[in-house]
Amino acid sequence: MPLPVPQLRPTTRFLVRGSTLLIGILALWWVSLRGPMLDLLHGAAGVFLQIRENPSGDWIVRVPFETLLPPTAKRPVAQQIHSINFEMPRSDASRFIFSLPVFWAIILAAPCARRNLWSLLIGTAIMAALEVALLLAFVDLAAYQAISHIQGDAGFRWGRQLGLYIVPDVLPYLLPFGVALSLHRELREQVFAVDTVMGRRARIS
Amino acid sequence: MREGIPGPHHVTHLGRFRFVLIFTGCLLFAFGLLLTPPIQSLDVQFSRTLVQVSHWLILACGGHASRDAAILRAPGGFGVEMRDGCNAVNVTILLWSAVLAFPASWKMKAVGLVVGSAVIQALNIVRFISLFYVGQYSLTWFDFAHIYLWESLLVLDTMVVFWFWVSRVVRLDAAACAPA
Repeated sequence: MPLPVPQLRPTTRFLVRGSTLLIGILALWWVSLRGPMLDLLHGAAGVFLQIRENPSGDWIVRVPFETLLPPTAKRPVAQQIHSINFEMPRSDASRFIFSLPVFWAIILAAPCARRNLWSLLIGTAIMAALEVALLLAFVDLAAYQAISHIQGDAGFRWGRQLGLYIVPDVLPYLLPFGVALSLHRELREQVFAVDTVMGRRARIS
Repeated sequence: MREGIPGPHHVTHLGRFRFVLIFTGCLLFAFGLLLTPPIQSLDVQFSRTLVQVSHWLILACGGHASRDAAILRAPGGFGVEMRDGCNAVNVTILLWSAVLAFPASWKMKAVGLVVGSAVIQALNIVRFISLFYVGQYSLTWFDFAHIYLWESLLVLDTMVVFWFWVSRVVRLDAAACAPA
């Protein structure tokens, strides 16, 4: 007589499948997909910015930034700035491409296989666009931070720091989960128990 | 359905919008707070405590390591420092924002915050100890595990902890609403 297969809870099933897929897909990305994906990001961001690679593979990014630096005691003549160049290590640029494999792992671990393919295709396009947008936002924030530093402008420093923390260190980790939950109805309904709690409580309030 | 009374679909959208609004607000507020000097100094203290616990666990399991503030060192010379962002405070903030935004009783929210944070911190200690050993084996794989794999796994675990808590809230709500 065959042994009964234990029925896992949806949470446990998702955790086991998600962790396994995350380890597998991210390892594959690290070993073989990282280089080609960085090249694709380079090409896509290159439409908006000038990016060169130095011999070690790090990026030299030129950000167009028009501003006039007023004269100071150290610099008696006003200076017109047209662009800012800065170096971005290849490892830092990789932070903007790993969200995609994370998204694939979440979608493939989600319940209801029928919906997965559609979510995978649409989500891949959305995630790719978001990764380019995050890189551009980060580069702009870094340029703004550099100019503020040269000008000695302490205004809105906390906001700049918050942006420079959230864009490269928080959003690349959060977005794949957010996009997966937005696109995959079954996953969203299971995680949030949509028709039970959220609806009932909203009706009460 | 009578005109003027929102149907279940409409109501669900309202609940979802409310959740996203509160969740984003809490997240931005907490991350902003995390960057202020007083909270940063508490954050450093917290990291040191976690390293102390990890050190004690390694010794208790028969491993070898020495500790210097927030740095854990292997006898071979490799050292790993728990910096801001490595102490799982960011994913704890994520869980807290989700729990606070979800429509549940304050008692259930308190349970979710306390138990969920404990689970995440326990996982983070496993993460830190595993990174300590991976780093002694290969620095390339340490970078991979540190920056990409473990961080993503922690967010996944946070989502599952939240999901598990929501299912508990639903079950208790259903039990409370069931006819005697």
